[in-house]
Amino acid sequence: MAVDRTASPSPPRKVKWRKWNNILHRDIGYLVVALTLVYGVSGIAVNHTADWNPSYAVEKRALEIGPLAGETRDELVREARERLRLTDEPANTFRPDPETLQLFYTRLTYSIDIPTGKVLVEEVRPRRVLFEFNQLHLNAPKRVWTYIADLYAASLIVVAITGMFVLKGKTGITGRGAWLVGLGLAIPLLYWLVYMYLP
Amino acid sequence: MRFVLTIVAVLWCSAAIAVAGSPKNYGKALTLKETTKVSEILADPAKYNGKKVRVEGAVVEVCKKRGCWITLSSDKEFESIQFKVDDGVIVFPLDAKGKNAVAEGIVSAKTYSAEDLIKQGEHKAEEQGTTFDPSTVKGPKTVVRIMGEGAVIK
Repeated sequence: MAVDRTASPSPPRKVKWRKWNNILHRDIGYLVVALTLVYGVSGIAVNHTADWNPSYAVEKRALEIGPLAGETRDELVREARERLRLTDEPANTFRPDPETLQLFYTRLTYSIDIPTGKVLVEEVRPRRVLFEFNQLHLNAPKRVWTYIADLYAASLIVVAITGMFVLKGKTGITGRGAWLVGLGLAIPLLYWLVYMYLP
Repeated sequence: MRFVLTIVAVLWCSAAIAVAGSPKNYGKALTLKETTKVSEILADPAKYNGKKVRVEGAVVEVCKKRGCWITLSSDKEFESIQFKVDDGVIVFPLDAKGKNAVAEGIVSAKTYSAEDLIKQGEHKAEEQGTTFDPSTVKGPKTVVRIMGEGAVIK
């Protein structure tokens, strides 16, 4: 077939980068919805560890079983179990000092004051949903989860970058977008400067 | 939609069951073969200060705020040792209490003034939601801890 070499070359095909940018932003955005909720909710919970334990609720109650007379640890444990009506063997026992006996069961601790028979029962319960969220957020599973979390973080970076270029015009990155991105940058930057250099 | 929710529920339950029963590793893998008795460390802290040891004991206390330390029972009555880890590097769960642990770390024997001990006692009481009586502190004291590197709790 003859080729007409005198014809002018066709104009370069325009790459529709914004279209692909928006597709990436949309679809990766959908993918990270669940984990963003997990990390966001857990992030708020974990931020306040000074005020509470975000993963466990601890319930305390007091009992009285009367003074224990046993001399050895085994005798004391037997006596305490009888009075507390605990049929199962404790997972462990401990005496932090001569006046205290502790019995450990799954998520339950009985601390008994031997001379008075006062008992403090402490029950530890994982907080529903928050426990699982925090385990993932704090990377408790390790191994494969480390890479899933890395992939999630990389996805967030892609969502953030592509997000800046979704719109064009005065609401895009050359208009209002620039101001909002600048504000978002200024908050951590100012905080860091104040934190680092002010007494 | 029902299919997706079923898959999510099955995965969630499987993960919970898998995590529940098995021994859990925290931090670095254990490397030492020989176990040192906690009572031996407490009897002669100077001998072990700065050395890496592997100890065993029941977890009798866990930091309630950050899970940044556990206390392990000694092989002798009325004795225990704190196993301290860096905040966030290892987080011990509160329900580790009462379980058996094998732990490795560097022994730290440090003498604190009465003032420092009172501050530490008050801080620990606040963390654990308990009370602390400063009059129980009688002068300077050597506190022996293990700066934790790794542990297995079962």
